[in-house]
Amino acid sequence: MNTVKQLFVRKKVPHINVKDNLTAYLFLAPSLIILGLFLFYPALMSLYYSLTDYYLLTPQLTEFIGLDNFKNLLSDPLMRKSLMNIFKFVILILPIQVGTALGLALLVNNQRKSTIIYKVAYFSPVVMSLAVISILWLYLLNPSSGLINEVLSNFGISAQPFLTSPTQAMYVIVVISAWQGAGNQMLIFLAGLQNIPSSIYEAARIDGAGRGRQFWNVTLPMLKPTSLMILTTTLIDAFKLIIQPMVMTQGGPLNSTMTPVYYIYRTGFTDRQLGFASAMTVLYGGLIIVFTVLQRKFVGGDTNE
Amino acid sequence: MNSNKTTRVLFHILSILLVILFIFPLIWMIVSSLKPEAEVYDNMGSLQAFLPSNHISEWFGAYESVFSRFSIFRYILNSVFYAFSVTIGSIIVNSLAGYAFAVLNFRFKKLLFGLMIGLLAIPGETILITKFVVTQKLGILDTPLAVILPLMATPLYIYMFTIFFRAISTELQESAVLDGANKFQIYWKIMLPMSKPAVATVGTLSFIMSWNDYIWPLMVLTNADRYPLQVAITNINNTEPVYINQVMAILTLSTIPLILIYVFFQKYLVQGLGASGTGEK
Repeated sequence: MNTVKQLFVRKKVPHINVKDNLTAYLFLAPSLIILGLFLFYPALMSLYYSLTDYYLLTPQLTEFIGLDNFKNLLSDPLMRKSLMNIFKFVILILPIQVGTALGLALLVNNQRKSTIIYKVAYFSPVVMSLAVISILWLYLLNPSSGLINEVLSNFGISAQPFLTSPTQAMYVIVVISAWQGAGNQMLIFLAGLQNIPSSIYEAARIDGAGRGRQFWNVTLPMLKPTSLMILTTTLIDAFKLIIQPMVMTQGGPLNSTMTPVYYIYRTGFTDRQLGFASAMTVLYGGLIIVFTVLQRKFVGGDTNE
Repeated sequence: MNSNKTTRVLFHILSILLVILFIFPLIWMIVSSLKPEAEVYDNMGSLQAFLPSNHISEWFGAYESVFSRFSIFRYILNSVFYAFSVTIGSIIVNSLAGYAFAVLNFRFKKLLFGLMIGLLAIPGETILITKFVVTQKLGILDTPLAVILPLMATPLYIYMFTIFFRAISTELQESAVLDGANKFQIYWKIMLPMSKPAVATVGTLSFIMSWNDYIWPLMVLTNADRYPLQVAITNINNTEPVYINQVMAILTLSTIPLILIYVFFQKYLVQGLGASGTGEK
């Protein structure tokens, strides 16, 4: 946050002439127009539409209906279900993905050159897009002919339905998402580990600290800023989950993988009930904004300049 | 020494198990694209599942078929066009704004900067629908502009450029002013060339963001001739008859540019990710 503050409280400029203003706004014009059109205005529009019964095909029939959308939303079973689903996803993916990333980083840190092969391998899922991994895992997890069930059968485990089972589908999506993202965070953890001065470890060793103690008393505390940043960004990214359920399960089976963002997309775009979808946007977007603000409060100052 | 050796062996065993866990889908994707359809299902339980066809002549059969069934060249060309336009546009648009915030003085500077930081908080995924309405009202639905334009300005990248430009010494700019350079010349001839790491970071992240963009192009494009690869692959995956080796071929094709980008620009990606903390996917 420091850098932001510096920009805000920069020295007072006594006199800015018209020409200076014009030049500056010429530089700003492209980004202001684009951000205004595709970010600021749509956000404001969502606020307004949330109070109307706007229907995508018949905007001329739109009427102002006050808070009715919100009332309906609170008693909407699918919205409730999608919120439960996303909380489940968030609570599971945080420890699984961040824990895996930290484990991988500790494993490859300070090892010999051969570990670069390991690093590349752990990172490899990151180079696939979400659409690609979603389709790929659809085939790998196919209940009748998929590779995973073939492998499981070698261990005497019967074929699992995976994505077609309402009790399993969300867990499968959690694991796939964690598998995809862990390598990325491993690299950030590695950068954090490399920033810990080796002199601290030496001092700890002289004091007689074993490997375990070094980890708890040196590594973890020194990694705190990195971990905090990774945890909060994972949290916020997790709330935006849409592509994996959209491609792999279409929100099913029995809405067990329906997420709020996907529900908004469906209601607004497929069902064209823009007013109702906007109310969801305001509610859920507001929720994400609260988390984002909290994130900035906690870790904003730790971004490397 | 002996226990040290045991640790190393254990370390490698654990590492290799993890490598298998992380890399087998990618390997399976690639080798399955190098097999005839029937062979993909044939040996799922054995190691043959992870080896391409025994006959080299059969390796590219799936690629030939998928290219003849669908206009793959078109999709690749579209993706490349979108990604390069976004990359170049994003570097220029964001750095222009970053320069204004970092160097110039103007009215409402603090307000605008605060507003821009505030925009960072808006979760783009939730406003997809109203963004679509704006695009519709602008009359650019189903044109490349609808795909490219929204990705060209990003508050985060403006912020990155602002921070970077502020770190560049003012003396160089002042001497340029004495030499009679105007603001644009200073931006173009001094600031931008001195900011290669920022340019590379923003460029790489923008390229990946555009290449992987899926939902937005799916929403704004109706003419299949304009589809980028990401949208085309789900389309191909849903067009009967679906051949698994052909699907794997198209998945592999759409991954290759990303592998290249990561190989060549990884340094900047870690910088960018470290600075922003967000994994743009």
